[in-house]
Amino acid sequence: MSTSPLATLAGLPPGLLWPADRLARPAEAGVPTGFAALDAQLPGGGWPRGALIELLIDAFGIGELALLLPALRAAAPERWIAWIAPPHLPYAPALAAAGVRLDRLLLLTSSDPATTLWTIRQAVASGGCSVVVAWLPNAQSAALRRLQLAAEASATSLFVFRPGGAAQQASPASLRLRLQPAPDALVLEIVKRRGPPLAWPLRLILPERPAAFPSRAARRCSGLR
Amino acid sequence: MLWFALILPDLPLQVFTRGVEDAGLLAVVEPQPRATIVAATAAARVRGVERHQGVAGALVVVPELALRERDPALETATLAELATWAGRFTPCVSLDPPDAVLLEASASLRLFGGIDALAQRIAKAALPLGLTTTLAAAPTPLAARWLARARPGTLVRPSEGWAHALDALPIELLADGAPVPAATLELLRGVGVRRIGELPRVPRDGLARRDASVVTDTVARARGRDPDPRPRFVPAERFASRLVLPASVAHTEPLRFAAGRLFSNLAAWLAARRAGLDCCRLHLEHDRAPATVVEIVTGRPQRDAARFVQLACEHLAALTLPAPVEALRLTADAPVALPACTPDLFDGESDAAREAALRLLDRLRARLGRDAVHTVLPVADHRPERAGRGRGRLHGARDHR
Repeated sequence: MSTSPLATLAGLPPGLLWPADRLARPAEAGVPTGFAALDAQLPGGGWPRGALIELLIDAFGIGELALLLPALRAAAPERWIAWIAPPHLPYAPALAAAGVRLDRLLLLTSSDPATTLWTIRQAVASGGCSVVVAWLPNAQSAALRRLQLAAEASATSLFVFRPGGAAQQASPASLRLRLQPAPDALVLEIVKRRGPPLAWPLRLILPERPAAFPSRAARRCSGLR
Repeated sequence: MLWFALILPDLPLQVFTRGVEDAGLLAVVEPQPRATIVAATAAARVRGVERHQGVAGALVVVPELALRERDPALETATLAELATWAGRFTPCVSLDPPDAVLLEASASLRLFGGIDALAQRIAKAALPLGLTTTLAAAPTPLAARWLARARPGTLVRPSEGWAHALDALPIELLADGAPVPAATLELLRGVGVRRIGELPRVPRDGLARRDASVVTDTVARARGRDPDPRPRFVPAERFASRLVLPASVAHTEPLRFAAGRLFSNLAAWLAARRAGLDCCRLHLEHDRAPATVVEIVTGRPQRDAARFVQLACEHLAALTLPAPVEALRLTADAPVALPACTPDLFDGESDAAREAALRLLDRLRARLGRDAVHTVLPVADHRPERAGRGRGRLHGARDHR
C-alpha cells in the first residue's frame, strides 16, 4: 500500500509543516488590527506579537497613526504605550478622542540614533510596554536584527516607521508594509510577510485621522460612510 | 567570630602580571628613594634578580629584564576589586592595606558547608581573577593575617586555647598589619625574644617605659583579649576596573585573555549587588592616541562573565587597532536588579507588568534624563501645537498604579 507524499505530509500534526503558498500559523494569535481586510492577509489574523513590524512611509501624516489606533486602544492598561523619537508632537486631544489612554502613553525623545536604539531595546525587553512605536529615519540592518531578536524574546509588538526607500533593502523584520496615501484612504502594499507575496495592494478606508483637524476629519469620515 | 585573611603576595608585581598568561622576565621598581627592585617574576628570580637589589645591578645580571614602575593607585584598586569579589561569600568584608582583604565569615559557614569547604571554595573562585592569594582563618583578624603570611592554609577554629597557634610565629610579624615600629622589634630581638609565644615573659612595665606598650596591645588584639573592630568595605556604585598590560600589545588576539580577567571582576561586582547588566564599555588605552571604546550590549540584563567575554571577543575580532594597547579599562553603570524568581499565586501577571512598567520608567529616566521622558495631556488651548503638553507630568503617571 503506497501513500502519496502529500497525504503523508497532511497527516502530520499541525504546526510542524508550513507550505510556502499558505500563510504561516503562529502559535499565538495576533493583535487584531481593526481592519478586517488587513487581518485576513496577516499570519495569525492580526499584528504579530513579539515581532518587529516595519511600516515604510514617504511622508508623515498620511494616516499612518490611524492604522495603529485600534491596536493602541486595545493595549493593556497596566503597561506603557511607548512612542520613541516621534518626529512631531502628537496631537493629544485627537488621541484622547480616539480612545487612547493618554496616561499610559510614554513619549521618549532622543537626540542621537544610538540612544534611540538603546531606548527601543529597553522598552521592548522590559516587558513593561504593550506596544512600542518608534521612528527610525536611518537604521542599519544589524541594528534592526537586534531589535527583531529583542522583540522575539518578549511579547511586545514593535512598530518601526522607516522611509519608503528602505523597501528595496533586505530587513530581518517579520512583517513589512509600505503605506501610500490615497484620497480618503490608505494604500497598503505588503512587502514581506510570513506567507506568499500579495499581488495587489490593500486599500483601507480610515475611520479616523488624528493628524487632521477633528472637525474636517469628522466631516470626511461621515461623507465616506 | 571567624576571620579569613586573603593576602596577595607580591601585589606590586601581580597587578602587572595578571593580564597575561606568561609575564616573562619582569621586575617592578620602586623609584624612591633609590631605584630598587620590589618584586620580580619567578623567571627573573631564577636568573638572579633579587628584592631590594638596585636596578643597575639587576640589569647587569639579566640585561633583557623588563622594568615597570610601581603603581600604588593600581594596587589599591586591585585590592578593592578583590574585596568586591569577596562580597559573594559574606557581607562583612574589610580592606587591610597594603595587601590583604579580611572576611568575617562566621555567619556564612553553614551556607557553604563548614570552614574547610569555604576555604577551598574561596581559593578556587579566586583563580579566574588572575590573582595569586594565600589564605588562613582564625578567630581574630590579626591572627588570620599573620597565619596567612607565615603559614598559608592554616585554618584555626575558635576553641579553648586556640591562641597557642600564634606562639611559634616569629616576632617580625608584629609589624605586619599593626603599628609596631622597627625600633621596637629591634629592642625585642635585643632582649632575646624570637617568637610571639615568648612575649608574655617580658615584663609589661619595662615595655611601657621603653615606649613599646604597642606590642602588648597588638598581641592582646591578636589573641582576642581586646576588641579589634574593622570598618566594613562598601562596593562601589559604578564599576570601573583597569588592567595594565606588562608590555604594549599591537594585536587584538592577546587582549582576549586580559578582557576575560576584567569580565570575571565585573561578574563578581554584579553578584555582590545581585544585579545584571546589559551594556558596558571596554576602553583600550593607547599611549598617545585617545582610547578606543568598544561598547558591549547584551539583549537582556545578565551577569554571566562568559557571555560578556564572547561578545567582547566578537567586537575585538572586528577591530583594527589605531595604536598599540597599553591598558584595558572596563566601565559599567546602571546595573539592573535581577531578582530571584518569585512565583505568584494570584494575579501575578498584571502585578509583574506594573512592576516592569515602573522599572522601565526608572531606567529610561536614569539614562535619557527627566526631560526626555514624558506623557501627553490634552490642554484646553485653541492652538494645536499647544494642545498637548506633558513635560514633567510623569509623577501623575507613576501614581497611577
